[in-house]
Amino acid sequence: MPKCTIDGREAEFTPGQNLIEVAKKVGIEIPYFCYHPGLSVVAQCRMCAVQVEKMGKLQTACSTPATEGMVVHTRSEIAKQNQRSIMEFLLINHPLDCPICDKSGECDLQDNSYKFGDSNSRYTEERRTYLDLDMGPVIKKNMNRCIHCTRCIRFGEEVANIHEMVAVRRGNNTEITTIDGRPLETDYAGNYSDICPTGSLTLKDFRFKRRAWYLKKTNTVCEGCSRGCNMEIHQDANRVHRCLPRVNMDVNQYWLCDEGRFNFHYLHSAERVVEPAIKGKNDDLSMTDWDSALDAAKAALVGARKLTVLVGSDLTNEEILLLQSFIPQHLSGAEIVHFGTAGVATVADDAAADKLLKRRSKTANLHGIEQLGLKPFRGISDGTDAVLVVRGGRAELPELPSVKLVGVGVFEKSEARNFSVVLPGTAFAEKDGTIVNFQGKEQKLRRAVIPAGKSKALSEILMMWMNRKSS
Amino acid sequence: MASKILSQKFYAEMEKLIPRYPTRVALLLPALHQAQEETGWLPPEVLEEIGAYIGIHPAQVREVASFYTMYNLTPVGKYHVKICTNVACCLRGANELVEQVERKLNIQCGETTRDRKFTLMEEECLGACGTAPAMMLNDDYYENLDSKKLDQILESLE
Repeated sequence: MPKCTIDGREAEFTPGQNLIEVAKKVGIEIPYFCYHPGLSVVAQCRMCAVQVEKMGKLQTACSTPATEGMVVHTRSEIAKQNQRSIMEFLLINHPLDCPICDKSGECDLQDNSYKFGDSNSRYTEERRTYLDLDMGPVIKKNMNRCIHCTRCIRFGEEVANIHEMVAVRRGNNTEITTIDGRPLETDYAGNYSDICPTGSLTLKDFRFKRRAWYLKKTNTVCEGCSRGCNMEIHQDANRVHRCLPRVNMDVNQYWLCDEGRFNFHYLHSAERVVEPAIKGKNDDLSMTDWDSALDAAKAALVGARKLTVLVGSDLTNEEILLLQSFIPQHLSGAEIVHFGTAGVATVADDAAADKLLKRRSKTANLHGIEQLGLKPFRGISDGTDAVLVVRGGRAELPELPSVKLVGVGVFEKSEARNFSVVLPGTAFAEKDGTIVNFQGKEQKLRRAVIPAGKSKALSEILMMWMNRKSS
Repeated sequence: MASKILSQKFYAEMEKLIPRYPTRVALLLPALHQAQEETGWLPPEVLEEIGAYIGIHPAQVREVASFYTMYNLTPVGKYHVKICTNVACCLRGANELVEQVERKLNIQCGETTRDRKFTLMEEECLGACGTAPAMMLNDDYYENLDSKKLDQILESLE
């Protein structure tokens, strides 16, 4: 491999790699704003300029490929002076409102200012300000904080394939906007906030919820569709506040769709059944204790003439395997089938739903559940007098006959209305497990929060079932 | 899109231009010029129509049209006075000329007179530094201006 020298350290590189990436590999940070590995290189923020020996002027590291024998200085006096000057320049119009800004604590502008900037500015003139137009339900814009890096514009054009975010006017008056504040059309709008190096584009959903430094992060996988985008769950005090994409070049690269990003809300929904529930006299669900609910579930299922078990393809492989060994032993004779998305019965029906990430299967483990040998649900067979539904929170309930229905897992109150018994289980962020995406990749779900209310893991529920002597 | 605002002539003109450019997006600038010639300025509906014709998002049309000062995104008067105030013209008294027009027409820079006859704007460099100060009146250049000459020009306009 060819080699170059950065700040006295020898660095190997693959031809074509730019200096920012090469420096990162050997642990040297070159500050930047407009550069993003998933977008085209424009070299317009000038923050990454470094000194390269035998080259007259400073070179922008993002647009300079490393070459054999190149000697680079990122912290020489002239490079440092440039970094200070660029920081001063980028901040002349910035409101410095970090104390009330949601980006604070994870802001490139803030971090680079502390690391590479100066503590004072010579600018005494009036700051340029904007009145902010709306941008739809996902993104909150604060144009005064913007440094015109154009990452958002390039994301729209190059990744989301819609040129709706633009820079109108020019020079000092440039404004990043959609036409007259129209709502963003893309299904990937959340990424605008992720890639913004300042607090200009923040998530309305996360606005003023928690300071970034209070959030505890768990690496997990999105359960929104069969792609299984890698993501981080950020929680505090056992409440999920947001989900951010995690880089995985094979699966989702740097991105996450809005459907997956905001899917977590059902975890904390007031509509979720989080206590064991039995159908009462007036046909409504009433909350009860685990023992009574288990007894009721047993009464409904054991001894049924014909039982169908519907297993959601939003469950993990571990949960499916548990059911595959539990049901023949304790509910013998039952037919076990899987369900998940209307119109997507099998892997053969699963296809790309758009040009970027989304898949047609709206559950994450359709491919895993088929590998484990379950057949798809094709309608209730004649003579069925009881149905057990086991699912996470994502699989879409099919139309169910009016027979005895028992639900295990995550249900909304409205969904559970026709059920005789609901045993509350865990959702994707409340358990560990393995899921298989459409590429056949096994990925790990990791527990980020403890189960809501009295919900229990499926293994625990089945154990209680086995240990409970019928009264 | 509902009824078209731009004329048959516009579309015929564009079809003639297509072979001249390597990409269809490159039609944007001539399309904006042509449209402005027809409608006097570029209302949002026209930008939408051009976007639909070229096959780009209307926001992208707005982006380009707002970048160049020669495209008018607001209605302008019959006579569009654009005085260069960049450094060479400024040194030769352009700011005073702007003030003179403001007083004479009783409008601020960027505004249009009530009778819709005049619009006054400051312009960036017209490339006429050798004959500064310069201004554009609609599509024509007027150079080596001074207070008297400017008055004469304005008074000669109907």
